[in-house]
Formats: sequence, structure tokens, C-alpha cells
Amino acid sequence: MQGSAQPVLLLRGIRKTYPGVVAVDDVDLELFPGEIHALVGENGAGKSTLASIAFGEVRPDRGTVEARGAVGLVHQHFELAGRLRVWENVLLGREPRRGWRIDAAAAHAHVVALAERNGLAIDPDAFVDELPVGIQQRVELLRELDREPAILLLDEPTAALAPAEIASFFATITALAERGTAIMIVTHKLAEVMAYAHRVSVMRHGAIVERTLAAQTSGEQLARAMVGGDLPPVAARAATTHAPCLRVADLYGGDDERAVRGLTFEVRAGEIVGIAGVEGNGQSALADALAGVIPYRGTVERPPHARIGIIPQDRLAEALVPNWSIVENAMLGRQHRARSRRGMLVDRVHAREDARQIVERYDVRTPSLDATVKHLSGGNQQKVVVGRALIDAPSLIVAYNPTRGIDVGASALVQSRLMQARNEGAAVLLISFELDEILSLADRILVMYRGAIVGTFERDAVERAQIGRLMAGIA
Amino acid sequence: MTLAITLIVLTLIKATPIVYAALGGVISERSGVINIGLEGMMVAGAFFAVIVSYATGSPVPGLMAGIAAGAAFGYILALAATRFKVDQIVAGTGINLICTGGAAYGLVLLFNQPGASVQVHALGSDYWILVLLAFALAAALHVVLYRTPWGLRVRACGENPFAVTSAGLNPLLLRTYAVVLSGALAGLGGAFLSIGELNLYSEGMTAGRGFIALAAVIFGRWTPLGATGAALVFGLFEALQFVLEGRIAWLPPSAMSALPYVAALIALAGITGRVRPPKADGVPY
Repeated sequence: MQGSAQPVLLLRGIRKTYPGVVAVDDVDLELFPGEIHALVGENGAGKSTLASIAFGEVRPDRGTVEARGAVGLVHQHFELAGRLRVWENVLLGREPRRGWRIDAAAAHAHVVALAERNGLAIDPDAFVDELPVGIQQRVELLRELDREPAILLLDEPTAALAPAEIASFFATITALAERGTAIMIVTHKLAEVMAYAHRVSVMRHGAIVERTLAAQTSGEQLARAMVGGDLPPVAARAATTHAPCLRVADLYGGDDERAVRGLTFEVRAGEIVGIAGVEGNGQSALADALAGVIPYRGTVERPPHARIGIIPQDRLAEALVPNWSIVENAMLGRQHRARSRRGMLVDRVHAREDARQIVERYDVRTPSLDATVKHLSGGNQQKVVVGRALIDAPSLIVAYNPTRGIDVGASALVQSRLMQARNEGAAVLLISFELDEILSLADRILVMYRGAIVGTFERDAVERAQIGRLMAGIA
Repeated sequence: MTLAITLIVLTLIKATPIVYAALGGVISERSGVINIGLEGMMVAGAFFAVIVSYATGSPVPGLMAGIAAGAAFGYILALAATRFKVDQIVAGTGINLICTGGAAYGLVLLFNQPGASVQVHALGSDYWILVLLAFALAAALHVVLYRTPWGLRVRACGENPFAVTSAGLNPLLLRTYAVVLSGALAGLGGAFLSIGELNLYSEGMTAGRGFIALAAVIFGRWTPLGATGAALVFGLFEALQFVLEGRIAWLPPSAMSALPYVAALIALAGITGRVRPPKADGVPY
């Protein structure tokens, strides 16, 4: 498709530095009409910055951007006004008028027609913040499509979507490309790249290190190009001796739909117990009850004075203070421990030392230890959360989607650290929506459905298909 | 019967300056800027209205000067909140202090007497026009906010300025317009106090109405009509204090004059947690 056509977007010699980092380093890139181009790379490789430059939101230090036609960008974190209606968001800045007033009827009809043309069903009068995430993304997509862009950039478009939403999202995108729009998807989800993209560019440390056709590569090859070598192998499972650690009996708690209803299980020292299940089947309530942040009925027994490391599900809402530095966040929740204190004061030397350790062990990409956490990419934030949870060698670890939103290389690293903690005698409860993660890490797998445990599998007797059926509630 | 009519008329009059300031609060907060400086802008409006009326011998230029003075301080807050990204509460508090202190100093400087100005030409019976205008403006602002492109953009700006940027518009410019308009409205409210109801400026004459207006904004759920309704309630309590004066022997007059403030306090305590401000209210862009 690119042989004959002229590129609609042409980036030449783009370079962009931020204090302490080269985000984009001398990048050339072209986009052709009708193609779906995937830009892949690890967290912090410079993909999002490059997309922002192509969109014109960020000015490069050097280089030129040539676009033939309008450029649209769908942000990873949608930029919508939540308490405005769908049509108000879509047509903001281009409101149809009748005299000096907005022509609400015309606006309504316009959005209905636009949605229909693109196969995106939507209620134009709904308030955006009352819509599920997948539909909110539709609103942002419609806003961009209304400007009839020749070039559409999508930054991590599937990060917040459920599997069913992802399929319908790509159906829309594929149809758009067939009608001639040039599409670039910024992502680190290689399975989606292999399934839907035509061409792939791999970024590493700000530079494009590989350009290929999706048909001529494999997920594994792309992963190697992203990481710049072989993936670090997940640490081997060592023999451990089991001693009782966490015992949960008849646990009830949480809100109606997503409550836990009478959970009973045990996690012993030196083992990883994986909770498999589709999101919304009580996993949140279980994690919150164990963390002690919601009221519950039932028994939760753990050794007295056990050190507990928690990796919460929502890093920005539950784990980090976004406006604080890495050093301060690394200390958070550990500030009362002897190591963190000097008399009544905080021990700043040790705090820095701990933060440095986390940054080094987890390869956190940051300009400095004093960088504000909100300026890190999502994956690097997650590494800080995991690093903090494991730094004090906890005897019990509750990990909730520990690798959510982080790239293959970093995921392997985090999984290795969890395995090492297990090998050294920690009891690990791993709650994850990624079945593959559970299958590769867990010694024992519990399947959760509607707040109850509906199946238990030992590692040597795993039946993947059976677990899938139990998760879906059809076994 | 006459008592009821007196009460209604007094309520409208007493509510008027609060309505102006509250409308200013609504437009500012809807754009995402908390205007704690409403009180100071009312003081500026009241003070400059008197000065210019004194200098020109006519209340109409005075009224214009009051509006302009409020707008000028609105612009200062807008600059602080947009270009210089100063904490909006700190900037607004600064405006309150400058205006009250500046007016006190100005009295000594210009009239050579502390406490109050000399008497100047006031609007007299024409001040009724301003009472009616306040309620007309409330309706107008409602139409502007909910029916015009500019209103939609201002509301979007208070919800998520980045959404405004994505639409190719400048949120900082929108906020600046909104806050200047907010100051002009507060200035008009202040001018109503000094050359509408009275014919002089006296220190402390705004008596916290700017803050009462902020309460009215919240109580009215950040809508022009809601805030106007809330301002009327607070106006009613102020009017009550005049109507009841001397009729309830056991209640001391000082307790009477506390009525509007107690009402504001109770109103706010009663609705806390049940109303949501604009999402980006007070958040610098």
C-alpha cells in the first residue's frame, strides 16, 4: 500500500530532550494513507513524546514535521470534560450555531450521523462521566474523527479497555484505515500489533531501532528489539519449605456486586498462590479486606509482626502521591520503621539509599531520584510501587496485577522479583487478570467467580481450559 | 400585610449586591478559577464608585468606575491564576487585603478622615434599576452559560482545560475573560452598596458579602439561577434583622446582625458532601 502512495505524515530528524533525558533522538518516520502503523517500545522509550510531536502538541528541539491534512490524537488518558454531554464534548470549539446560540438540535443530529458513519453507537445526550471507560474512549475518538483527520494517532488506546471492547475498537480502526486514514498506534501490547498492524517501528531509548512489516516478524522478535536483547528469564522456582503464614476463613466483605462471599484459603511461606478470575468477581474486595481498608467478617490470621508488602491495584489512587518525589514515595508507609528514622526525624540518608536501590533493581527510567512521580511514565511508576513493596523483604506479599501497564522487559523483571521473594520464603498472594502470569508464577491456583472460589489447581495438575471455563462461570 | 411587603422589598434590595457577587463567583468557578477575592473586588467597586462620583459630581461615571475597578482586580487575579500560576486562594486573599487596606488608606489620603468618605452624589431612587438588572443578569448569565458556544467552552474549561486544548482553544484566555467578568460583577455589587443604597463609602461596608456570595455559589450548585436563589435567602435574613429589630426584646441587636452569617454557615454545613464543584475548579492549567 505504501509503494505507490505519498506519505501523509513525514517526520525528519526529530530530537527532543527533557532535563536529564533524551526523549526522542533523531527519528525519521513516515505514515502512508490506509496503513495501520504500530509504534512499539518499552515504557519511557519516547513513543508518547513522538506522538505528541507529530500532533503538534509538543515542539521538537530539532527536526521537521510535515502533515498533509489534519492530525488527530486520542490520548491515553482521555481529555474529556466529564460533566458535559457527549455531543458537547465532541463538538467543543466547533459548535453549530443559530444566531449567537448553539443549535442543539443540529449538534445532536450531527453527532448521531457521525457515530453512525463510523459504526460507533453512542447516546449524544449522555453525560461523559456516567459512561464506562470504553464508551468514553469512543467519545474522544468521535471528537477527533469529526475533524476528518487524514492522520490519526492513538496513544495506548487499549490500555483501559476490556477484551471485548478491544476487538470492537480495532474493528473501527481497521475500517477507518480501509477508507484511507493513516493510523499510528502507540502501544507495548505485541499481541495486538501482530493481529492488526501493517507496519511496525520499534523504539528504544528514543531512537527507532527496527522497522518491519508485521507479516514478516513475530511477537518474540519484536520483544527482543524492544528490550535490546533477550528477555531476562523469569527466576527459577527453587524448592522451599512450607510453613503456615496467611490463613483466611469464611471471609465476607465488599459491596453487593463485587463482594467476597465466604472465602477460605491458605497461603504458606515459600509459595505463590494465584487468584485467577475475570475483573469484577470479588478480587478488589479480597485485596481491600486483606489490606484492612474495608470492613469484613471472618478470620484473617497472619503471624504476629509479619512484614507485609502490598502492591495495590491502582497505583496513582492507592499507592503513590503523584506530586511527591521518588525518594518520598519510596519512604511512604515505611516511615515508622527503625531504618527510616533518626530519633524523631526522618532519616533522609537511608530514604535516598532505599530509593536508589529501587531505581537500580527495577530499572526505573527517571532523570533523578528527586523527580516527581507524576512525571514518570505509568510503567516506571509501577516499578516504584513494586520496588517499595518488596524492599523490606516482607514475609507476606499481596500483589494485585503487579505488571499492569508495564512492558515485556519490566514485566519479566517484576515477575522475577516476586519469584525470588517466594524462593527466599515469602508467602505471595498474586491476584491477576492475566491468566498467563498466574500460570507461569503460581504454585497453586484458585479460581474466583462471583466472590467465591470455584476451583483449586496444584501447579503440576493445571488444566488451562478448565480454568478458563470456571472463570467464565460455565463449568 | 405592609410588613410582608416591606420584608419582600428589603429582601430584594439586600440580596442585590450578593447576587452580583455570586454571579461573578459562578462565572469564575465555572471556568476553573476560585475567586476568593470577591470581597476585595466589592470593596474596590464601592470605593472607586464614590471617588469618581465625588470627582465628577455624577453617580453614573462613578458606577462605571466601580465596575472597572472590580474588573481590574479581576484581571490581576486572572493573571496570577493563568500566566503566573499562583495559588488561587493566596492570590484572592491578597486581593482582599490590598483592597480593604488600600481603601482605608485612600480615605485618609483623599478625604483626610479615617472610617468613611464624605457624602457624594448617589443614584437615589434610580437604584431600583440596579436591583432589577441583577435578576435580569442572572437570567442572562444562565442563557450564556448553557446556550452559547462561549458558555460551553467556559464550562468545559472548569471541567478539564485539557479537553479545551484538544478542541484547539486556549483555556487560559477563556479563564481570563471569565475572571475579569467576575470582577466587574463584584465591582458592580460593591458600587451598589456605596452609591446605590447609600451615598458614601465607609470602612467595612461590604461586611463579608463577598464571602456570603461564595457560599451562595456553593449553595446554588455553581449555577446562576441557583446562586441567585441562595443570595435571596441570605438577603431575606439580612432583611429580617431590620424588620425584627425592636420586636423581639430578648434577642440583642448584635445577634440579629449575625443572622445572615449563621444562615450561610448552616446552609453550607447542610449540603457539604452532597454537591460537586466543577472538576478543575481551583486547579491551575
